[in-house]
Amino acid sequence: MDKVAVVGVGNTPFKARHIDKTFPRLAYESVRAAMDDAGAAKEDIQSVVYSIYNDFFEHCMMPDHHIHYLLGHARKPGLRVTTGGATGGYSIRAAFAEVASGLHDVVMVVGVEKVADVANVFEMVKSITFAGDPFFESRLGGSPSGSYAGAIRWHMEHYGTTEEDCARVVVKNKGNARNNPDAQSPMELTVEDVLASPMVVPPLKILDHCLNSEGAATVILASEEAAGRFKREPVWITGIGASTESGRQTERDDVGDSLFPAVKASADAAYRMAGIDDPSSAIKVAEAYDSFSGVEIVLYEEFGFCRRGEGTRFLADGRASMGGSNPVNPSGGLIGGEHAIGATGVYQVAEVVRQIRGEAGARQVPGVDRGLAQSMGGARGAYSVTIVLEG
Amino acid sequence: MGMPGKDLRFEPMKEQDGFAIIPDTWKVDFYASAGELSRFFIELKDNARLMGTKCPRCGSVYCWPRSWCHDCYEDCDWVEMSGKGRVQMFGTVFISLSELQTEVPYCAGGVLLDGARYPLINYFRDIDFAEIHPGMPVRAEFLVPEKRLGSIRDFYFVPDQGA
Repeated sequence: MDKVAVVGVGNTPFKARHIDKTFPRLAYESVRAAMDDAGAAKEDIQSVVYSIYNDFFEHCMMPDHHIHYLLGHARKPGLRVTTGGATGGYSIRAAFAEVASGLHDVVMVVGVEKVADVANVFEMVKSITFAGDPFFESRLGGSPSGSYAGAIRWHMEHYGTTEEDCARVVVKNKGNARNNPDAQSPMELTVEDVLASPMVVPPLKILDHCLNSEGAATVILASEEAAGRFKREPVWITGIGASTESGRQTERDDVGDSLFPAVKASADAAYRMAGIDDPSSAIKVAEAYDSFSGVEIVLYEEFGFCRRGEGTRFLADGRASMGGSNPVNPSGGLIGGEHAIGATGVYQVAEVVRQIRGEAGARQVPGVDRGLAQSMGGARGAYSVTIVLEG
Repeated sequence: MGMPGKDLRFEPMKEQDGFAIIPDTWKVDFYASAGELSRFFIELKDNARLMGTKCPRCGSVYCWPRSWCHDCYEDCDWVEMSGKGRVQMFGTVFISLSELQTEVPYCAGGVLLDGARYPLINYFRDIDFAEIHPGMPVRAEFLVPEKRLGSIRDFYFVPDQGA
């Protein structure tokens, strides 16, 4: 298997609505940014993977081939991936496989999402529920908030995690977003502000939720041999693990006390591939899928940054904060930075690459030689992809 | 054949050969921004003008418009199209999707507008479909202002008798 490098990254700013741009235009702008970053020409790109989650968000059933043509890549291979919130991670994995296998030397991953073209947030949530089982689940109206709230509530009941603890994730990530010029929702908040926001599905209040964003992110992957053609020092993908669980949020087999077993499986696979035994010392920064505040606390445990049930302590001790041992979501994550779903997993990789290059500006974590990007999707994290990147 | 606008979600299950046939409808509403292409729809609705875009580097003219040239990666400029062109390809439809089933037969096809690089698709109207042929001169005809919605259906092609 060939080594795989990230040689270029780019993204648009993230907003609640880019009213002035269609989804192909957003994609194009992120592609241009990544090509400029890499010093790549259009002719360098041999294949493209499109990371686009929801046809309803794009108002188009097969958005990828419209973008592919408008990017000037007609008659080259183009593949669209959609796996819920893990769309970005799985797209990176598809492109990684194309390069690692020797099928192509240079493969581009383009993640893009609209969301505000859907008439309103209720219609948007409805379109997400179409992912459930059509006979037994979708008609009941299960929402993403509902599927994750149950897991967080379980953590609260078993380990004593409180709504205040969850609110501290929001304060951290909205605060981190203040250091990210592309972030959608930088805010200086208190725990009390979060607790006072309107309740959606207990224990999740509005401010515990991820953002709904529009935007795009692109990364360019290259083989070791091809990486030398580009102007940037390569950042290597040394581990990549993927896991798809039961799509039924209440049905999980043989997972012990793991609340997001797909995450644990993907992280374990990525660590094995990267030769990591002790993730808490090996991983210097993580961009992780904080779809809801309490989810991030559970992720610390699934990642092996701390033991089961100690996620709240990990947070309270400041270990996930800027300046801590394992800063999580310096970009602001999904709560403060962005959640343009198809773009998210791609943007996470771009952010970790910037951290390793030392180019993350005010959100830079000192001395990052290895970082982690993790995205997940489906009901209660049915999909997860974990990626280890090294300088 | 489906019925436009019918919502099946609250209809009772039907039994067919011992199987449960469960009615459903997927319906999602949109207010979709045309973004950087908005001028096309605004000029169409407000002024009955057909707008294209032109690459400042290679000179390609695109209608329907695109905001950048896929060959040159240059942002394009807006240009007004004459609305005249020639039929490139076409097809007459007798069995259609549910919403258009009331409009059959209709004829749609690509028209290469004067100066444009690629054809623009729309309906042919006010013509005997049997007379349509590749190379036939046509021109855009616009709905009256009170009927224009800002939709691609605000215009159609008719024979250009003066060509």
